[in-house]
Amino acid sequence: MKYKYLTEDIIQKIEECRGRFPLKEQCIIPALHHILDKHRDIVPEAVIELSDYLKVPVSHIEGIVTFYDMFRHRKNAKNHIRICRNLPCHLANFHSLLEKIKEKTGADVGRSSSDGLWYIELVECIGSCGIAPAFLVNDDLYDGSKIKTEEDLEKILSKYR
Amino acid sequence: MSIRDKIPHIPEIHVESNLNLLLRRAKENRTVDIEEYETTGGYSALRKALNKFSPEDIVVLVEESTLRGRGGAGFPTGRKWRFALMNPPPRYLVCNADESEPGTFKDRIIIERDPHLLLEGMIIAGYALGAKEGYIYIRGEYPAGYLILENAINEAKERGYLGKNILGTDFSFDIKVYRGAGAYICGEETALLESLEGKRGHPRLRPPYPAQSGLYGKPTVVNNVETLSNIPIIITYEAYFMNIGPAGFYGPKLFPVSGKVEKPGVYEATMDITLRELIEMAGGVKGGKQVKAVFAGALGIYREDELDMPMDYSPKGFGGTGTTIVLDEDDCVIDALLVVTQFFHHESCGKCTPCRVGTYEQHQILKKLKEGKATKEEVNYLKHLSQNIPANSICGLGFSAPNAVSDALKKFSEEIEAHLKGECPVCFNRGD
Ligand SMILES: Cc1cc2nc3c(=O)[nH]c(=O)nc-3n(C[C@H](O)[C@H](O)[C@H](O)COP(=O)(O)O)c2cc1C
Ligand code: SF4
Ligand code: FES
Repeated sequence: MKYKYLTEDIIQKIEECRGRFPLKEQCIIPALHHILDKHRDIVPEAVIELSDYLKVPVSHIEGIVTFYDMFRHRKNAKNHIRICRNLPCHLANFHSLLEKIKEKTGADVGRSSSDGLWYIELVECIGSCGIAPAFLVNDDLYDGSKIKTEEDLEKILSKYR
Repeated sequence: MSIRDKIPHIPEIHVESNLNLLLRRAKENRTVDIEEYETTGGYSALRKALNKFSPEDIVVLVEESTLRGRGGAGFPTGRKWRFALMNPPPRYLVCNADESEPGTFKDRIIIERDPHLLLEGMIIAGYALGAKEGYIYIRGEYPAGYLILENAINEAKERGYLGKNILGTDFSFDIKVYRGAGAYICGEETALLESLEGKRGHPRLRPPYPAQSGLYGKPTVVNNVETLSNIPIIITYEAYFMNIGPAGFYGPKLFPVSGKVEKPGVYEATMDITLRELIEMAGGVKGGKQVKAVFAGALGIYREDELDMPMDYSPKGFGGTGTTIVLDEDDCVIDALLVVTQFFHHESCGKCTPCRVGTYEQHQILKKLKEGKATKEEVNYLKHLSQNIPANSICGLGFSAPNAVSDALKKFSEEIEAHLKGECPVCFNRGD
């Protein structure tokens, strides 16, 4: 089978993983993280490739993709914004932060912006309640309480355009 | 170049301590490297453990320390280790760094700022348990913590604290980090083990307990980050550890405080601190307002008149992870419950029907209640569910999911009445 999503670098990382962990199933979650980092989404073809490479049934990998919130099949945008909606962030009015981000990016919860740059997801507590309302842009964490003006937000978002 | 220059952005989280034990090096928003860790006394506990103590001595020290697990259940750590030691090797040590309970952000401070403290604790624990391998299961949403731990492990290996023949002894130990991918239930120890074996995170039926049959079916100790970070302190202080804090609940504890306080952050204190004192330590209620309610420890709810209870693991204490979320007089308890119940419904793994469906039903009723459209019968049904969900579930999520609802029914009946009549001053004046 010829691989399109399991590129050389990803295969190399999977092999590293295989050297560290005794079960081949233990390479699925790490591999999905690598696929997600590189391709933004885990499309069905990528699952089939991974299944072929690791010799693990497609159903097992699908089971993992659907169970864990960070993995997704959907075609998303270049940047993934995760806004926390749990209690401390709720008390710190994450709604108002969400509105600002929606307005600035043109994306909506569960919907990408038309320029393909942004996707917004509401998530449960991200262990950052001391800086509520907290949000992540890709892997970077931000303190929503520091965002007072449009410029504050723009300064953050401009790093990802 | 520091590891911080190569990792994702982490903003400053406020941290305060007058004990300087767990947070001794973690007050600033930076990562302590091995150089600094060593020059400030780091790895001397490991050296002492290997040179002075047998594994059995260490288990006894931990038993005597009365250390309780900081992951939520408060189970005595020494007893857990003893239980695992009753089963033949190979044994495994797993550090639970999944930290996903709402309002909890204490473990990340140790991981991101003082990672060697955790590693040192794990290596000593590995020695005591006769384990060859330890795993750290870190939640997927802590990418920086993952890289920091990997880096710290490499540093420790280079200096002979990890790997083959540690510090020239015949003890060998390795630590591997494994990333989760966004599932609260994977903090539950048996779900964590499933996930660590590359499966969906469904909790296992117990018995057997992980100490009997855990990772790869072998005896396994699962401990929280903060629990393991206490181990070097116990080894350093030995009997003097019993001078830290109240009898039976010795040792430092981290308290993540959030919500309507002046200075949200992570506070280190002994467990004789009361919830009221803790809120004061965090600068008091924001804007000098009154406390309406506090969501604490496994998300029970407490009233203003209960704030003088100590934050320990006694039956009348708050226990749990030390999590404290403060609501002020302008917040509505039913509104907060709505957030909490939707969380549990979203995070239920779905294995037990009462948990999967019951959490949803609770959420739906509360939604109606908040809009002033619920009936008395529905509120009674909430009570029924609060008893039925824990009674018919197999894991701690199902056991604790309805805590907040049953506490609210018991302690905030005026608010419930007001919502039944459509008269909550908070919800109905704000118009949401
Ligand atoms: C739903 C659920 C989530 C949990 N999440 C965590 C967690 O994120 N971190 C943690 O250390 N313990 C968590 N626990 C507790 C663990 O099951 C386990 O008791 C703990 O890791 C044991 O460590 P300790 O003895 O050091 O406290 C959770 C339990 C349940 C039921
Ligand atoms: S109690 Fe809930 S979370 Fe726990 S196993 Fe059952 S369904 Fe899953
Ligand atoms: S509730 Fe938002 S980060 Fe914890």
